[in-house]
Amino acid sequence: MAASPRLPLLLLAGLAAAILLSALSCSVTPAASVAAGEQIYRRQCADCHGPAGEGVAGKYREALVGDWALPKLAHYVAKNMPEDAPETLSRRDADAVSAYIYHAFYSPAAQERLNPARIQLAHLTNRQFAVTVADLVARFTPPPAPPPAAETPDPAEVGLRFTAYGNALRGRFDAAKVAQRGFDAAGIDFVFAPGSAARARFGATDEFSGQWRGTVFAEETGDYEFVIRTPNSVRVWINADPAGGAAEATLDVNVSNPQNPDQRVTVRLLGGRAYPLAIDYWALPEKAGASPVPALALRWKPPHGSETTVPARLLAPGRAAPTFVLATKFPADDSSQGYERSLSVSKAWDEAVTGAAFEVANHVVRRLDRFAGTRPGDPARAAKLAAFAEKFVAAAFRRPLAEDEKARFVAGPLAGAPDAETGLRRVVLLALKSPQFLYVDLPGGAVGHRTAQRLAFALWDSAPDAALARAAAEGRLADPAELRAQADRMVLDPRTRAKLREFFAGWLQLRYLEDLGKDPQQFPGFNPELIDDLRTSLGLFVDDVVWGERSDFRELLRSEFLFANARLARFYDLPAPESDGFVRVAAPPGQRSGVLTHPYLLAALSYKAASSPIHRGVFLTRSIVGRALKPPTVAQTFDETTFAPGMTMREKVVRLTRAENCMGCHSVINPLGFSLEWYDAVGRFRTADQGRPIDAASDYHDDDNRTVRLAGARDVADFALGNARAQEAFIEQLFQYLAKQPPRAYGPGTLGRLRESFVASGFHIRKLVAEIAVLAARHGETPPPVLAAHVPRPAP
Amino acid sequence: MTPLRRREFLRQAGLSAAVLPFIVGLPSLALAAPARPRQRLVVVFSPNGTIPTAFWPDAAGRDFALKEILAPLAPFKDRMLTLQGVSNKVRGDGDGHMRGMSCLLTGIELLPGNIQGGGKSIPAGWASGISIDQEIKNFFQSRPETRTRFGSLEFGVGVQDRADPWTRMSYAGSGQPVAPISDPYQMHGKLYGQLRDRESLRSVLDPLKTELAKVRTIIGSEDRRMLEAHETLVRQLEREIAENESALRARPPELEPGVADQNDNVPRLSRMQIDLLVNSFVNDMARVATLQYTKSVGGARMNWLDITDGHHGLSHEPDTDESAQSKLIKINTWFAGEVRYLAERLAATPEPGATGSMLDHTMIVWTNELGKGNSHTLDNIPFVLIGGGMGFDMGRALKFDKVAHNRLHLALAHGVGHRLPTFGKPSLCDGGPLALG
Repeated sequence: MAASPRLPLLLLAGLAAAILLSALSCSVTPAASVAAGEQIYRRQCADCHGPAGEGVAGKYREALVGDWALPKLAHYVAKNMPEDAPETLSRRDADAVSAYIYHAFYSPAAQERLNPARIQLAHLTNRQFAVTVADLVARFTPPPAPPPAAETPDPAEVGLRFTAYGNALRGRFDAAKVAQRGFDAAGIDFVFAPGSAARARFGATDEFSGQWRGTVFAEETGDYEFVIRTPNSVRVWINADPAGGAAEATLDVNVSNPQNPDQRVTVRLLGGRAYPLAIDYWALPEKAGASPVPALALRWKPPHGSETTVPARLLAPGRAAPTFVLATKFPADDSSQGYERSLSVSKAWDEAVTGAAFEVANHVVRRLDRFAGTRPGDPARAAKLAAFAEKFVAAAFRRPLAEDEKARFVAGPLAGAPDAETGLRRVVLLALKSPQFLYVDLPGGAVGHRTAQRLAFALWDSAPDAALARAAAEGRLADPAELRAQADRMVLDPRTRAKLREFFAGWLQLRYLEDLGKDPQQFPGFNPELIDDLRTSLGLFVDDVVWGERSDFRELLRSEFLFANARLARFYDLPAPESDGFVRVAAPPGQRSGVLTHPYLLAALSYKAASSPIHRGVFLTRSIVGRALKPPTVAQTFDETTFAPGMTMREKVVRLTRAENCMGCHSVINPLGFSLEWYDAVGRFRTADQGRPIDAASDYHDDDNRTVRLAGARDVADFALGNARAQEAFIEQLFQYLAKQPPRAYGPGTLGRLRESFVASGFHIRKLVAEIAVLAARHGETPPPVLAAHVPRPAP
Repeated sequence: MTPLRRREFLRQAGLSAAVLPFIVGLPSLALAAPARPRQRLVVVFSPNGTIPTAFWPDAAGRDFALKEILAPLAPFKDRMLTLQGVSNKVRGDGDGHMRGMSCLLTGIELLPGNIQGGGKSIPAGWASGISIDQEIKNFFQSRPETRTRFGSLEFGVGVQDRADPWTRMSYAGSGQPVAPISDPYQMHGKLYGQLRDRESLRSVLDPLKTELAKVRTIIGSEDRRMLEAHETLVRQLEREIAENESALRARPPELEPGVADQNDNVPRLSRMQIDLLVNSFVNDMARVATLQYTKSVGGARMNWLDITDGHHGLSHEPDTDESAQSKLIKINTWFAGEVRYLAERLAATPEPGATGSMLDHTMIVWTNELGKGNSHTLDNIPFVLIGGGMGFDMGRALKFDKVAHNRLHLALAHGVGHRLPTFGKPSLCDGGPLALG
């Protein structure tokens, strides 16, 4: 990161005045002291820290910015500075120089003054690119055919619809031979052994076949390795249309291979969506005496998961159109600010954009006649294709095209191409490589369309849908009530759900977790299946809170409920669920406090055989109480062998971090981390460590230097929920994830107003999401957005 | 090469001027000589057996006369081997056509499976091993000096859109059939899609530069750096496209548009596929190819020969049915004509960077899944080799006594320097490679 530019003298004079003003209002720091502090800084500190605290390469590179309260800063300076001779700085001079540093550049307020945030031009993030092109293609994809009138309504919410036939015709199915219709609510994992119930549905025949239809829901974005296990024949369509026949099938096993029954295929899916799933299966007799037992299982290895039967809770009997999912890999987004945003371009990115544009172009051109509502030989085909091309570009640009744009983006490429297909390919290519598609919120165009675009990207990472685009075209989005109504409508769309799921995965630092394995001697039963269950359990819990009626952030931190299946309940001593699958169960009183104590998180923030108060403390510091941390000044490895036997984890951490230069941060991290010492390396509740009672209590000094006694997760939750800094930290992270811009760029006090409104709404997460999206959408428009004014103040 | 010299060259090759457009498409044949002469293999398949009496030369050795079916190949007689007495000796499950096809290039039994063949045969599945074309492809691809972009290309003509042991002869391994591409437009896209895409990409760069420049003027000065960087990337792309201009030796053939993949188009599809095949060799995209006409039990109706019966149906008629016999001779003669067209194309194309023609560096193996249609015999499979480059002594009619075809595959492998001890079923490899040198 580039060092801040040296401040010109004139500006420094103004700065001194500003410091003076703020210093006057602060009783502990007289103005004279600040002025003296500046002299000391120039004489003794600026050599290493730079004239404006920006850092000096080769000496002390880190900029002097942070969120310690002034007394803590002064205490630290007095004890440690200057580094070579701390005893030479008197306590009085340390106070003076600290006051100068604090007000001139160290404090968050000084930073906001020195580096006023602005909304920066950004191109689409990778997620935005993938979701936007998926929705763009979906606009022109015909909806799935409605169910035949004879079909009974779906009686179940989960599972696939099936039709069983008493014969096998190699991929053809004879309606006259239907033996049974029904639903498989328990997923697809059958052995059709002679005489079994599974076999009985086909009637008493040697040759039989079946069809399964429905959808599969992908919770996360990524590569799903599907495994179809059968010694017989099968044709499977995943995110593909079975009406397209064998040519469109994802997997086509006409010739059985009983010696190698697993057929694997990797399908990339976008999280938060349901995809069409169809299975055609047929069993024919093989060599006499060697015919395998007919069987069929639908398995998968999802991202972050191990191979398992596709869970029935993710299968549904409904219909869905296929989604276009981009396969091109993009270079990772810049996430140096804690959220993905895209403020620079690179060769690798440009190449990925070209590859992706071709992918979309090929997809569109293959379905051109269907998308354009025409057919080969249609006398109006050329006109229809041109009309489609124009609609496509307008949808890609998120606004109607001006006449000259129609010429440049549509007529030009079509006229220059040797044939219609090549022309359309070029239209798509030019559109998707154009700045109008690639950059979010370019200036120009009608205000309403920009508002719509900002709203849709904030909530969905995608372009406006037809309803929002219509409202924009009709000028209705200038009305704050209409805009809010649109936001409220859009929050309930699955795309918001998908985006929030990704936000919470980032907030809980789940995104890059791969290996949660523990010492098998110490934690038997903590196997890959259990880890999958834990991830599911946490996802279900977050979904349940966020999408429940109250959508109450406090429940996220304080709830004593968990989602568990039988396996989790056994392992964690929870009440056994009464039905299959995952059920909401209450943990024993006082043992659990929302996500803070979810075993998945606790296990992730642990060593192989022991808890890790440092990892847990860092997570709580950053995500829950919202304090800034710097990278450690000294790299320390946690080496079990360096400690005397019998020491508790807390004792080890205290010893490891007792140095003064460690305690700068560890005075914050450790008390938070120790509060979770009630949980072992797999997140089980415990009362002893090394045979000694758990000691989880310590004094935590908050950002205003107030002392708070923390003795467990619930104390941390209560503190965070009552602390303005912690509340704002959550809102800030959510804001940045939604808008891809810092809230400070939306004017001073933005976070504070959002916080007041959040608290007043009963910590309502979905309302906060809508409010942030509206704020981002209306920014820069007149009249300025009204924020908390209409929200009733909380009762005193 | 001057136009005059090119005409001379064509005349020498005994070709009509119709070949000219293809040759004109070669921008540069002046290439550095390869360290070792290139070697290539093309396997051509036609189905349902042959009519032995109209196929096999009577005499053995160099002094032999071509019979009716092989007559079209007369210009290549001195570069040809006919291999009578080679048998597909693989037994096991599956009917004769299935084994004839799926064991033809693999030389190994079929896996258990649920495909019920004709008669009282036992159901079976895919072949249980790799095919010789894929084995040689892997050998070429394993060495940098013989590695090419695709390694091998699998062409089909009129192969039905279904997958079973009757429709697949190429296998990447046990239970892993390789599907031929029957649609020349799809093959064209596979070979030259990048080129077409490059043209499309080039065509949008000018409008793109205009848009970026326009956007740069309407955004704030703080954000311009990204736009400028973006513009630089577009200029860079433009330069790269220009620098890559002449990477190909031969321009892609221009396909006649709109030839649907259907029975009556087989003659046109065949020529389109052969043109693509030869073109891919000129551009050194692959050193191995297969060209599969229909499939085992293929029922093409050769209306263009005034034959309205299906090929497979005819092949079951007894030897005494003279009408059927003459039709089958006509059908097989037509296939020989297509093999001749392939040989002509290769013979008319100078080998890039070396002496001689591409045919001197390519071995064409024309084969079939049966020896004779009405007996379903797997003996005397009609194997004909045309070309050069493998060190075989060409220009002979050879007669063997029921040798296993695995030994022919071994000879092909050894011919390219891949000294396999056995191929396919080891017990069928006794005696080692067939002596063809």
